[in-house]
Amino acid sequence: MEFLVNGLARGAIYALVALGYTMVYGILGMINFAHGEIFMIGMFACVFAIGVLSAAWGPVLGVNLVLGAVLAIVLASAYGYANERIAYRRLRRAHILAPLTSAIGLSIVLQNFIMLGVSKDKIDFPRFDSGPLTDNLVRLGPEASVSLLQIVILVSSVGLMGGLFFLIHRTRIGLAMRATAQDRRMAALVGVPVNRAIAFTFVLGSSLAAAAGVMVSMYQGVLRFDSGYSMGLKAFTAAVLGGIGNIPGAVLGGFIIGMSEDVTSYSIGNDWKDGTTFIILMLVLTLRPRGLLGERVADKV
Amino acid sequence: MKSIRSAVGLLYWAALACVLGACQKSESVIKIGLAGVQTGSDGQIGTTMFYGSQIALDEWNAKGGLLGKKIAFVSRDDEGKPNQAVAVAQELVSEGVVAVIGHFNSGCTIPASEIYQQSGILQITPGSTNPQVTERGIRTLFRIVGRDDQQGVVAATYARNTLKASKIAVLHNKTAYGQGLGEEVRKTFEKLGGEVVLFSGISGEEMDFRATLSAVRSSGAQAVFWGGMYGQAGPLLVQLRDSGLNLPFLSGDGTIVQEFLNTAGAKATGVYLTFGPDFEKIPAAQGFLEKYRARFGPEGPYSIYGYEAANVLFKAIEEAGTTESAKVADVLRSRTFDTSLGPVAFDEKGDLRTANYIIWTVRNGKFVTEAP
Repeated sequence: MEFLVNGLARGAIYALVALGYTMVYGILGMINFAHGEIFMIGMFACVFAIGVLSAAWGPVLGVNLVLGAVLAIVLASAYGYANERIAYRRLRRAHILAPLTSAIGLSIVLQNFIMLGVSKDKIDFPRFDSGPLTDNLVRLGPEASVSLLQIVILVSSVGLMGGLFFLIHRTRIGLAMRATAQDRRMAALVGVPVNRAIAFTFVLGSSLAAAAGVMVSMYQGVLRFDSGYSMGLKAFTAAVLGGIGNIPGAVLGGFIIGMSEDVTSYSIGNDWKDGTTFIILMLVLTLRPRGLLGERVADKV
Repeated sequence: MKSIRSAVGLLYWAALACVLGACQKSESVIKIGLAGVQTGSDGQIGTTMFYGSQIALDEWNAKGGLLGKKIAFVSRDDEGKPNQAVAVAQELVSEGVVAVIGHFNSGCTIPASEIYQQSGILQITPGSTNPQVTERGIRTLFRIVGRDDQQGVVAATYARNTLKASKIAVLHNKTAYGQGLGEEVRKTFEKLGGEVVLFSGISGEEMDFRATLSAVRSSGAQAVFWGGMYGQAGPLLVQLRDSGLNLPFLSGDGTIVQEFLNTAGAKATGVYLTFGPDFEKIPAAQGFLEKYRARFGPEGPYSIYGYEAANVLFKAIEEAGTTESAKVADVLRSRTFDTSLGPVAFDEKGDLRTANYIIWTVRNGKFVTEAP
């Protein structure tokens, strides 16, 4: 029972980050390898903001955490937007390998920026602010309990995903994003603000990644400059598993990977966790090369 | 265009002249390699180890150096990664070092040592405790620290006999050090009639341990042993306590770092670690500790080992009268050195003849000795 909740919480996080990969692929047909780094920037921005707020008006429980999370989302979105402007927009007409290389370069720059500018060691999330969430356990039975934080992670991730679906399917900018994803040139001809739609996609993906970053940094209690690497890899796997470019697919992939990891490490052993994930990925890609819910042929790297 | 080309040519020759000049000048110094982890998750422990060696170097140079020459360190960061350690070893060889102090992680020391052996370079490690380091018959490799099969016995015996645990969960970080130490604990714990109910590896970048902790809970373990480093030990302990498991938490020398306490905070209860003696209580070590703290601030667990590794190496080179590795190795094997760690003598394999692991614990946010 307990490990199911663990798996769901982990899967929700993967899904949030995977959405960023899949949305950018859907609209530009490129893989934003710097997305894991945006997740990491979100982690650091939150801790930084909480530190500044605590210094400004003292440690106010709850308020600082929420404001810190909001500031993290804003800052990470700014990074995501800047990434698109600096590293990708000029390369939009270039060969597909050019923005890919640019993305990898950007990821190295961001990681080293945090390593050299902030810390090469891990940083602890302020326990004062996360304590009420991590320390309070909800008993599910004699042998199982869930922390309040896990419930918060599940509820807020589902809320964010719901918000995203609403945004994409019910608003003008969502319509613009979908139009741009279908045919960029045609959308531009009928007056869709293509540049704005693409920039907004990056901002949206980055804010989801930052929200995930805030929750993960509380969940594991520590953050490091390389925290984005493995998260990025797993989330990318989730996006591919669900069918890259497909938004419900990313959510499904995230939950499948999160659950399979926790169920495997609980029942077989932690050593088999990554093996199982990639076996599932290989099987799915063998049977359905476009991923579980994928429609478009993945002809671009 | 032509003038640019000739300017570049001039620069090239100037640079070459500088390099050649530096080479000739270096004849008058003895170069010693200093290799270990400086960045990454184990960065802090490795950096404070380097500082210890640096103090020994400055003391010797102030006394006039070694064999009439000054000593110079060539220090390299292996990032705690085996492949980087090999690259670092090759660089040190081409730099022309006569001996190497390092590396720190067993997983780095083992592959690097093969390169030093081929090049006839003496190596002394202040921190690698995996048995395999000295079990491969390299005559010019020494370690000035205990072995995991000694350390693991102490930890497992404490868990079984003093804490009265009959079931233990052993988690490790899949490295030569962590897994090796875990295996030794398993061996001894089973020999003492206990049962290892869980033996599981967690790779180095993972920080969410909840799935494994659920498995620990349902395995019915009465104690948890962590074979790994302080970077993961902190979050592991916090998540263990968060999920309501108040089991004793045992670990080895890789955990006894201030960073661990910073992360664990008030949740550092029931912690038992194996490590060397408390140098606060050893009069011979006070001179070094004072000097270290005045210069670099609080010392790390391996600072004094870094210091004495350098001292023992310099003494042996002085006595051998040469930097030739085979002769220095003979001196190291045949003599007992007086150090602040106590008398240091090496056996045939290059291990310490006496290791002195004891149990440490955490009280009031500080590491204190618990029991011999």
